[in-house]
Amino acid sequence: MYGGGNTFEGIKSTGLETEDPVKLAEFEARIERGEKIEPHDWMPQLYRKQLIRMIEQHAHSEIIGALPEGTWITRAPGFKRKLALMAKVQDEVGHAQLLYGAAETLGKPREQMLDDLISGKSKYSNIFNYPAFTWADSCFISWLVDAGAIVNQLANARGSYGPYCRALERICAEESFHLKYGHHCVIHLATGSQVQRDMMQAAFNRWWPPMMHFFGPSDKASVHSEILMRWKVKMSSNDDQRNQFLDMYVPKIWELGFTLPDPNLRKNTETDKWEYTEPDWEEFKRVINGDGPCNAERLAVRRTAEERGRWVRKALLAPKTEYVAPLA
Amino acid sequence: MASLGCHFLLPLMMKSLDPRVTRLNIPEGELVPKVPLDQFGTFEVFVQIKEGKGYRHEGIVHAPNIDMAFLFAKEQFSRRMMCSGIFVAETRNVYVTAFTEDKDNVYSHIVDNIPEDGEEETYEFFHLNKRGKQHSHIGSVPAKSHQHALTLAKSEFINGDPVYNVWVIKTSDILFTNEEDKIMWDTLPDKKFRDASDYRASDKIKEFKERQQ
Amino acid sequence: MNEQALKELLYKMADDQLILGHRNSEWTGFGPLLEEDIAFSSMAQDKVGQSQALYTILHELGEGEPDTVAFMRNADQFHNCQLVELPNGEYDFSLIRHFLFDTAEAIRFEMLSNSSYAPLAQLAKKIKGELRYHTMHANIWIKQLGAATEESIGKLQQSLETALPYALGIFEPSPYEQELISEGIFEGEVALQDVWLKKVEEVIGQTKLTMPDVASLTPAFGGRVGKHSSHLQPLLDEMSEVFKIDPGADW
Repeated sequence: MYGGGNTFEGIKSTGLETEDPVKLAEFEARIERGEKIEPHDWMPQLYRKQLIRMIEQHAHSEIIGALPEGTWITRAPGFKRKLALMAKVQDEVGHAQLLYGAAETLGKPREQMLDDLISGKSKYSNIFNYPAFTWADSCFISWLVDAGAIVNQLANARGSYGPYCRALERICAEESFHLKYGHHCVIHLATGSQVQRDMMQAAFNRWWPPMMHFFGPSDKASVHSEILMRWKVKMSSNDDQRNQFLDMYVPKIWELGFTLPDPNLRKNTETDKWEYTEPDWEEFKRVINGDGPCNAERLAVRRTAEERGRWVRKALLAPKTEYVAPLA
Repeated sequence: MASLGCHFLLPLMMKSLDPRVTRLNIPEGELVPKVPLDQFGTFEVFVQIKEGKGYRHEGIVHAPNIDMAFLFAKEQFSRRMMCSGIFVAETRNVYVTAFTEDKDNVYSHIVDNIPEDGEEETYEFFHLNKRGKQHSHIGSVPAKSHQHALTLAKSEFINGDPVYNVWVIKTSDILFTNEEDKIMWDTLPDKKFRDASDYRASDKIKEFKERQQ
Repeated sequence: MNEQALKELLYKMADDQLILGHRNSEWTGFGPLLEEDIAFSSMAQDKVGQSQALYTILHELGEGEPDTVAFMRNADQFHNCQLVELPNGEYDFSLIRHFLFDTAEAIRFEMLSNSSYAPLAQLAKKIKGELRYHTMHANIWIKQLGAATEESIGKLQQSLETALPYALGIFEPSPYEQELISEGIFEGEVALQDVWLKKVEEVIGQTKLTMPDVASLTPAFGGRVGKHSSHLQPLLDEMSEVFKIDPGADW
């Protein structure tokens, strides 16, 4: 699960003037032809750096994303839900494994990425810094946070870096179960007792603002983002992805008789775009920078898991194997 | 709209909403970076989705040895739908040719013959037939080294569809699935809870809408 | 066929699988390394799935719906051995428990594949492959960590000593042992424990761990007749927290 947001900030210069112009032209022509870039191909430093940053953040979002839903893993009601939630949270961990592998082909070992996650140096999707108070919150996440992630991931799967695209194809195939499962859960709460409906409505009220944050603020037009679009690192704008999400899912929420806590939310039939109250981007920034309701807990859990597993990894480390980057 | 973060405010030092987290007994104090460890080795994973089909490269696992690599690969790469076999090989033991493109068969760059001494062993071949796709298992050749195996395979593949990259792995460097262990995948099709098709509920929505009218 | 005997057998097996599957699922997302997190979760899912299959057989024999039976009973109505209800502890304990329990479980189902009770024999044949992976996983891990560092050997040894009396509780005799054996439903707990002990000793023998003298241990009995440690009821309360908001609801 992943969204847009903070991924591409913080680059001051492109550094392109130091790259070999012939190789750069060949690289760009390849992307223009719709071919994938593979680990053994030449690539500009900026491309490598931005991809590592993006794929790594995506991987962190999967492993941290396992926590809010994991909140309900021991409490899922009934066998069907219990098995499904176990499998879904497991998938998130599996997705992290796949994505770390893709990022590793660019030269950053997984251990280093995990270190950067735990030390707070790298980011992950902001939405996982919010708590899942009730079972209905976990249903919201399964359905709509995953739906948002799929919008983002389907776009990125058309990107230019081969290993990332292949990981995403696999992930998207698995996410179709998440999405259907999540929708199934929400439908059951929607059509169930008043208690169930109320629980779900409360979850919509809580989660809608972070969901609107999910795709990140409007992209600023810049040389930098223009290059990332041309290189097919960034595949569509944050606003376009948000609009696509609203278009696909708001009608499905409304058809179940739920309301969303934004009186201005409507589709403009003339522009064919959704209108909404501007999300509170100050809060978004505050949470991304560490001041959200669950930032501390999420990192503490990861750190504790790593610490408690350390003796296991230490015992298993044998001189028989040696770390090398994956081939593809 | 007012700041919506207030819906989420948790009292300080409240126990976690996740009972599992509460049981972790997270120590108080500052977040410290974890102690860096050497990364485990890397293993390439090949999966056969069904008896008779070829093995295809699916990804990697990190593991301390090949037995554990197999354990890990089995659940990471074959916990869904169908599988009839897996094999794993340590990445260090994969001999990789140069990459070619534009219909340029990589075998045309392989020397014709190299003198070889030594013991003959078998080598497994994996071809990349399309840029951006995965390597597929083609077969094996008895030879005296990885390079020797390539020269021997050249005549067979030089005139076929272009091959853009070859991985050669000594057969003895691969952990294959034992025949009697193949039953491990028997119940995969029954695990419907991992399948989107098990979550249809359109009739419930329809019924709900009718009730609303 | 003695239905009482059969139901007693099915309940204790189903309850074992459910409670251990639940416990093991607590590791999902917190595992010691990513790949193991995934593998351990799959085996937890297998266990919960197997318990569901057993409750379904019970339902066909006239017992309640699997969801009701699993989520609405109190601790004193559960027949699992105490081994499976103990908290996870650190990974060494979870692994040792997994090894001790799954070794027994694989042998039990192997025996049941010849059961005169057809639904059980069918289930045993069907899940043979799942159990093959579980024991392969357990054996490889125990062999690795049981012969690695002083720290890992020490931790495993301690967990082995803690877990063994509880593991012997798996084989708490049923009041219906003779009926089960004579009707060809199951070969019985004594026969199971004999084979189990040999297997366990065989694996432990390939490590630097020391196998305690089993004959000198007092087995933790009671689980099969509803006597549990203080850990089971809180586990059940947690598991059914949402379900019990409205047990009649469709979740």
